[in-house]
Amino acid sequence: MSSESPSDPPLLRVEDLYKRYGDEEVLNGVSFDMDAQDVQVLVGPSGSGKSTLLRCVNRLTEFEGGRIALDGTPTDEMDENDLRRQVGMVFQDFNLFAHLTAKRNVMLGLRRVRGHSKEEAEARALEELEQVGLGDQADSYPAELSGGQQQRVGIARALAMDPKLMLFDEPTSALDPELIGEVLGVMRDLADQGMTMLCVTHEMGFARQVATDIMFLEGGHLVEHGPPEQLFENPRHERTAQFLDRLTSLHGGDHG
Amino acid sequence: MAERAAGTDADSASGSRARFGDRDVGTLATYLAGALFWGWIFLRWLNDWSGGVFVPARQAFVPPSLFRGVAAGVPVVGGAFEALAFAFEYAPALVNALWLTVVLTVVSIALGFVIAVPLAASRVYGRVSAWVSVAYIELLRGTPLLAQLFVLYYGFPWLTRFFRGLPGVGQGVLPGQAVFVAVIGFTLNSAAYQAEYIRGAIESVAPGQLVAARSVGLSRVEGVRFVVLPQALRYAIPGWTNELVYLVKYSSLAAFITVPELFRAAQNIASSNYRYTSMFVLAAVLYLGVVVTATNLMEYVGRRVAVPGISGGEGR
Amino acid sequence: MPCPVPVPGGLSADWRYVFENACYLGDGLAVTLALTAASLVVGFAAGLPAGVAEVYGRQSDSAPVRWVGRAVRNAGVVLRGTPIVVIIMLAYFSFGISPAFLAATAALGFRSAAYQTQIFRGAIESVGAGQMEAARSVGMSKYQSIRHVVLPQALRRSVPGFQNEVTIVLKDTSIAFAIGLAELLTKSYDLFQSVGHTTAIFELILVVSAAYFVLTFAANRSLEALNEAVSVPGGERG
Repeated sequence: MSSESPSDPPLLRVEDLYKRYGDEEVLNGVSFDMDAQDVQVLVGPSGSGKSTLLRCVNRLTEFEGGRIALDGTPTDEMDENDLRRQVGMVFQDFNLFAHLTAKRNVMLGLRRVRGHSKEEAEARALEELEQVGLGDQADSYPAELSGGQQQRVGIARALAMDPKLMLFDEPTSALDPELIGEVLGVMRDLADQGMTMLCVTHEMGFARQVATDIMFLEGGHLVEHGPPEQLFENPRHERTAQFLDRLTSLHGGDHG
Repeated sequence: MAERAAGTDADSASGSRARFGDRDVGTLATYLAGALFWGWIFLRWLNDWSGGVFVPARQAFVPPSLFRGVAAGVPVVGGAFEALAFAFEYAPALVNALWLTVVLTVVSIALGFVIAVPLAASRVYGRVSAWVSVAYIELLRGTPLLAQLFVLYYGFPWLTRFFRGLPGVGQGVLPGQAVFVAVIGFTLNSAAYQAEYIRGAIESVAPGQLVAARSVGLSRVEGVRFVVLPQALRYAIPGWTNELVYLVKYSSLAAFITVPELFRAAQNIASSNYRYTSMFVLAAVLYLGVVVTATNLMEYVGRRVAVPGISGGEGR
Repeated sequence: MPCPVPVPGGLSADWRYVFENACYLGDGLAVTLALTAASLVVGFAAGLPAGVAEVYGRQSDSAPVRWVGRAVRNAGVVLRGTPIVVIIMLAYFSFGISPAFLAATAALGFRSAAYQTQIFRGAIESVGAGQMEAARSVGMSKYQSIRHVVLPQALRRSVPGFQNEVTIVLKDTSIAFAIGLAELLTKSYDLFQSVGHTTAIFELILVVSAAYFVLTFAANRSLEALNEAVSVPGGERG
């Protein structure tokens, strides 16, 4: 946790979040705070509401109850496009714009949302691609890139908007095992540079080494929330121990 | 290859309703409207063929005078009754002519199918015959249907004479000679389009199917006949629906070689009562009824013959 | 084409008749081409927004937008279910659109719009939902996302469907015969119906059919070339 004065609001505050699809309750009163430069990893069985939680943060999904505030401002009082500009998102299946080169993928938001000139946008895009190690692939189309490269372009696209917070929705789940490392490497660099990150991932090696906190979500409830040492060594709940054990044996590999 | 595609969504207007209750009511209403529409049409045909058992041929079951003058002077309502009176007065003659539209469509698509299957098979599997098929298909698909009808009707006067000479043509149940010429034209044209739909469907059957057929000892022809075609023809149903809808609409071109089908009947009446708009709108409503019926019918057929587990029943 | 066309020697009387009237037919060809182009432009101008309205109209929260979407769908069902000759007659006689060329353009154009709507609707729906989400997640508005992300991909995918539509419209211009528009088929009809020349029908229809055939062929090849030219390297996995 960072050491700001107690009167400062947290960068992200999620308070008593409720979300349902039809009769199914997906999120059941979830609350947590994130300070600037935190890296929080969200784990839990499939269907536990992890992705939904991320999508509530940038309002790709609307929620029924509770409040989310970014830098002290409730997100429902913000313009949704402005909110999303400040909150970057990386998707499980990359979702690169299929008709644009890597460079133009990054440029589009700069041009249309931030109003950069073509030259400015291009320079910034190349800088971001350089940062994720893809300066030489700027003119490649998504279909010409490997999955790992596509996901790194996806990260560059989000970073270009200068977000305060980055959301990662299972960024490595769609990748072949040998490509996972390059993406985790980029994420680790980001964390080292002080980016605030909220990640849904099953990569336990990454969680152990990089996360400031791990949250275990099950059945729409936040079962346990604490630093990695606590959850891995001294979990308060039996369920947490079982789940993390199983994940570690499946995804414990120390990629990148 | 999907030429003339995208005509099969006539019922998608009601497709956005999510709840099942609504949909059931919608379906029921559709069936009811269909039954009413066709019940009325068959009753009319029966009446006209039998020389007028219920009412004199081509006269309304309900006298149009019933609506005439009702609420005269009242805006909108008076106009609606006037339109109703008009519809009741002229619809019987149009329904009478609709018979030829249906005959042209049904006979042509059936005969066209008989030609289309070997045409498609030879385009896919043949050598020399593949070239003959390609030439035929591309020629017929590359030129306007109306030009094709003109060639048959004006270019081969002996064809018309031949049909006129046949016993019974133009008398009793047999229609006039021009109808036969039109059927030939639509059949030849439709065969080319149907062949392309079937070819596309044949090519979408996995090649392993024919290999497997040969491996159990079937000949090539038997393999195509008993393994590939039964699958391909199911895949061809959506395209075939388009073709049916297309023929219903384009049968109206027979009017230009004097066939007194629906469109020509509407035109003839309009040229004597000068109510062009009303007559063409009335004709359009009848065409629309037939097209919507054809679409729903083919969707039903598609669901019935669908192989369980293979999409196609639930397609689109 | 130099007019009049020099008539080669040694021809039959019917072929001589065709050559003598080459310029007359040439005018018809020009009308056919102009009618095809004008109708396709009308069809595109109305069909593309209608396609967008059909897809996004039904998801909209606002009742008037949903209403527009439904109206577009119903108009499409009617236009696609009515014979083109009836639509042409209505345009000419009922709406009183004049001259005949404009009536035919309106009829063929709006009918084509109804089909192009389906083409664009299908193409838009084939672009994955993830594309829209990704665009929204960098802060683009819904309009910007449609305009810069969904449509550029959808338009590429609609080229093959558009190719079919071009050939259909081209061939159906001949149905403007019904209102006496002097396009290619009408002109040839007038020629072989004139007294003393009825036997020239084969020569005339041969020439006219060849013209339609060449035009369809050329349209198909050029749109296939266009499809190649606009395709995204490596294919699309949107």
